[in-house]
Amino acid sequence: MPQFFSNKRLILLLVGVILLVALISFTLRDRQASLPEQIIKDTVGFGQSIVAKPASYITGLVNNVDDLMNTYEENKRLKSRLEEFGTLQAKVNELKVENDKLKDLVDKKDDLRNFNPIQANVIARNPDQWEEKLILNEGSMNGVKVNMAVLTSKGLIGKIVQTTPYTSQVELLSTNNTNYRVSAVIANKKTEAFGLIEGFDPKRSELVLKRIDSSLAVKKGDKVTTSGLGGIFPKGILIGEVTKVSTDDYGLTKLAYVKPAADFSMLDHVVIAKRQSIAIDGSDGANTDKSTKTDGGDQK
Amino acid sequence: MARFLIPFVAVVLFFLEPGFSLYSPIEWHGHLYYLVPRFLILYLIFLSIYYDRKRAMMYGLIFGVLYDIFYIDIIGLYTFLYPFICFVAGSTVKYIHQHLAITTILSLVLVALLEIVLNQFFLLISFTSVPFTEFLNQRLIPTMIANSIYLIMLGWTFKYLIEARVLLKANQSTL
Repeated sequence: MPQFFSNKRLILLLVGVILLVALISFTLRDRQASLPEQIIKDTVGFGQSIVAKPASYITGLVNNVDDLMNTYEENKRLKSRLEEFGTLQAKVNELKVENDKLKDLVDKKDDLRNFNPIQANVIARNPDQWEEKLILNEGSMNGVKVNMAVLTSKGLIGKIVQTTPYTSQVELLSTNNTNYRVSAVIANKKTEAFGLIEGFDPKRSELVLKRIDSSLAVKKGDKVTTSGLGGIFPKGILIGEVTKVSTDDYGLTKLAYVKPAADFSMLDHVVIAKRQSIAIDGSDGANTDKSTKTDGGDQK
Repeated sequence: MARFLIPFVAVVLFFLEPGFSLYSPIEWHGHLYYLVPRFLILYLIFLSIYYDRKRAMMYGLIFGVLYDIFYIDIIGLYTFLYPFICFVAGSTVKYIHQHLAITTILSLVLVALLEIVLNQFFLLISFTSVPFTEFLNQRLIPTMIANSIYLIMLGWTFKYLIEARVLLKANQSTL
């Protein structure tokens, strides 16, 4: 074999490898995109949004066919719940009127539940799928900010982790990232139990809700929603349903497995929730470290 | 025509990849299967074997940077891997016969290698905690099946396109 690398080539290769390793370790840190990156992202995003249109059309078609096939079973199930629904609606209306009246009485205008929806289309999913990320076609020009909640009609799917002027990046709830937390509440008839969604169990395909006060009763089948106490997310967005309750590693607090209400595959249209009341840095954000340093955060 | 067609096809494939990944993961018998589209790199491997190693590496570098910036946010990963795969593919030309079937198998082997290297890298930086057997069943095998279907469908088109370009170049140089 002839000499595979000449000296000059070898040096070039070594320098290249060193540069690459430096670049990788530099870009691995949590950071916001720099200007040239933003420009590239917006340009690629523009091309991507053109290609994504027929793709989202096909996704819609597949979903429609899927819906059509399940129609009979769904119809049976829905009929059985219809009677329940009538009485429930009357009750909800009544409660809502009462709630509004009471709010007027105490002069409370701000509500953690209220948010302005920003409609967005999914233009790409991270193709190698090691990180659970989506790219949306709305960016900071339309008021999208980092850490806002992203939801579908079924429930919460994730939050914004990065924005450029015309695109934004969503990290899904099913991520493996350990710094990803969502402040949640389990509400049943008697009590409200607060906890944090921390992590995803890939074997069960379920979210893990940790740090629930062990004195509170949590049952299988309870609904889990966002609490709005993390600072950025609005209150009351459905996350999922409790499937199993156990104690955590140290036996001090409870841990619940939550089956997500939203489907994480075949996403095309999503809504970004922009909360109306003032947003603060908190445990919903990836910047938990910052908030613990400055104000201790509002984690429990 | 063929002159501009080669980069144009690369751009189209680059944009198609994430479009296809919107349909993944698919659920089948209660298990999630991840299909990772690797259209672009398969095309670049063909380019490297049938056309020009250096040019394929150039394309690999450019698209690798775009890929890193737009999707991965870790610059340097695909930037290195794409040209590297092209380099390996181009280097094999001297040793093996350039039949379409052999090229197809070689491309698939190289893509499997790419997947394994990526898996090891993401394990290293703890983006994922998937053990190797699970990776094999959930990702590698479905991905390889999907990509081989794609390559069997389109491989000969690539070859035809690239050969048209090579012919064009040869004609130009003789004139």
